[in-house]
Amino acid sequence: MSEVAIKVNGLSKKFTIGKKKSSSFRDSLSSVLYKSKSTQDFWALNNLNFEILKGESIGIIGKNGAGKSTLLKILSRITKPSSGRIEINGRVSSLLEVGTGFHPELTGRENIYLNGTILGMKRSEVKSKFDEIVDFSGVEKFLDTPVKRYSSGMYVRLAFAVAAHLEPEILIIDEVLSVGDAEFQKKCLGKMDDATKSGRTVLFVSHNMSAVEKLCSKCFLLKQGQLKYSGSSSQTIAKYLNFAESNQHQWTRESTVKSKAYFTYIKAYQENQLDITTSGSLNIEFTYEIKEDLNSLKLHLALLDNYGQIIFSSAPEDTGIEKPLKKGKYTSLVTLPKDLLIPMKYSLKLILWDHIAGSFIHHDINEEIKFKPIETQSLINNTSGGRSGIVAVKCKWKIE
Amino acid sequence: MSENKIIIKSSKGIPKLELKELVQYKDLFLLLAYRDYRVRYAQTFLGFLWAFIQPFATLLIFTLVFSKAAKVDTGEIPYPLFAICGMAGWTFFAFVLSNSGNSIIGAQQMIQKIYFPKLIIPMAKAIVGFVDFGIALLFIICICIYYQFIPSSNIIFLPIFILMTILASLTFGIWLSALTIRFRDFQHVVPFLVQFGLYATPIGYPAELITNSLPNWASLIYFLNPMAGLVEGFRWSIIGGASPNEFAYVSFLVTIILFVLGLFYFKKVEEVMADIV
Repeated sequence: MSEVAIKVNGLSKKFTIGKKKSSSFRDSLSSVLYKSKSTQDFWALNNLNFEILKGESIGIIGKNGAGKSTLLKILSRITKPSSGRIEINGRVSSLLEVGTGFHPELTGRENIYLNGTILGMKRSEVKSKFDEIVDFSGVEKFLDTPVKRYSSGMYVRLAFAVAAHLEPEILIIDEVLSVGDAEFQKKCLGKMDDATKSGRTVLFVSHNMSAVEKLCSKCFLLKQGQLKYSGSSSQTIAKYLNFAESNQHQWTRESTVKSKAYFTYIKAYQENQLDITTSGSLNIEFTYEIKEDLNSLKLHLALLDNYGQIIFSSAPEDTGIEKPLKKGKYTSLVTLPKDLLIPMKYSLKLILWDHIAGSFIHHDINEEIKFKPIETQSLINNTSGGRSGIVAVKCKWKIE
Repeated sequence: MSENKIIIKSSKGIPKLELKELVQYKDLFLLLAYRDYRVRYAQTFLGFLWAFIQPFATLLIFTLVFSKAAKVDTGEIPYPLFAICGMAGWTFFAFVLSNSGNSIIGAQQMIQKIYFPKLIIPMAKAIVGFVDFGIALLFIICICIYYQFIPSSNIIFLPIFILMTILASLTFGIWLSALTIRFRDFQHVVPFLVQFGLYATPIGYPAELITNSLPNWASLIYFLNPMAGLVEGFRWSIIGGASPNEFAYVSFLVTIILFVLGLFYFKKVEEVMADIV
């Protein structure tokens, strides 16, 4: 019999929405005087029960807002549950963000120590692994430079290098792999694979289904704060993709958010077409709002396959366009190259994010748009033999 | 079996202080203090020199205003010595006050992403103030040498006053950091408090100047400010003279009570910190 690493009984977490998060005296006073009627309870997690054995690697999947991050935050003891009981056996390290506590004024060397200690290592542990960390990050030349002078790629590499050398018994990871270049992501996945193989208990939240399938033996599927399904990774992922399958070409924000910048409306369409087809070019129109003037803001759009893997991503500066930073509402139109899509499931990911004072801030991430183009004349099917791949690209050929 | 067993439950009632946990996190505490210290003078031209310039300038102004203009009588004691003995504890207190209030808000990124006893944040800020405290003590020694002043035998009590000053500073730091999270109003209260305290505490003038002209009940109120008794005691232990006003003990008592209450209040706020910060 394996030992239990995490045992969760009747776990619930309630948030009160419609109330300001930070109060002032006036709010406290007025809530005594008047019964506030605008508040509403929202159960981010609702009566969860599960057990995780030592050495298991569990993927937690579900749509945005299903309660994945809240679950990780409670397991990491960042927030307290509203009710229920959790028993954890073993030293826990959680990695909900890379580079927590990095200070831009400090050098790479100092930040390795700081970040390592923040993640739960003893100073002596960091010291003994220091060379390995530096090696993994590949920034040894800049060790004594303040990290504010680092490129964002170097920054992420250093931050992840520290995290990758954690050796807890239980490792909790939120979607942190969405940063860094492809090569580095591969390196990180490899490192995480090592962690699961060395008998560590791993909890992993991701939208990247192929990574989940590769790393985790078992998955939990969350929906609206409840555990909808648990089973082998392939089965759970199939279940999830199934109910996530429905096409959605258009999305409008219904709930309010507290972010400084967020999307309000997204629509994917083709000129003169009722549906999305494989021929012609796809237009993505979206509106977003900036709540207060910002110093910098990054806007990315990515096309994903049905496993959540990024096929490519694009940003306005690629075509030399200045992004607005001032408070206001903006509408943007992105046009994909002609004849790119094939008849398979795609989704779009739009991100408003920033990299301030050494931390990644995700203002808003939207993955609501999903579509499967109707076969019209794609290279895949309308050519003899067909072409393989997840996008079709007409290349110039020359044979002499 | 692993000895690291953690139980997570919803919280009700009086929180546990879990002071043992603070010891476990001492590495993080020291590194955070180091970070704050390093960042303090980063990219300044004069760097660490600022730590000397500031108290020196303040001392100069105090001497001009209180000794030359207002003609405060400090007897045989050279006024600069009198003032620096008052300033030493106060500067530290004021530093902790102004830095720890916002400390939790400043660390919100960390609080939302990682678990650790949050108490180490205001405490790490307080440690940075030790630098200034140490420099002020250095000033006292230099001024003593300059005036060829031999400290009174009361100096054996100095460590007690130093410890009490640290305790009082921590007390206010802990309270303010917890309160600021709950009520952002305190962000505006702190600068005012520091400014007000500078006059409401016998730093540039002897406490008798005030208490002699006040009825007993008003003296009691005056010494409800913990720093009033501590600054008086601090000075008394160096330059001697009449023993501090008996109301100074009120300052001591207030400090200790507030400290214990502050720890519990902070723990209570800590439970919801990540949700409301």
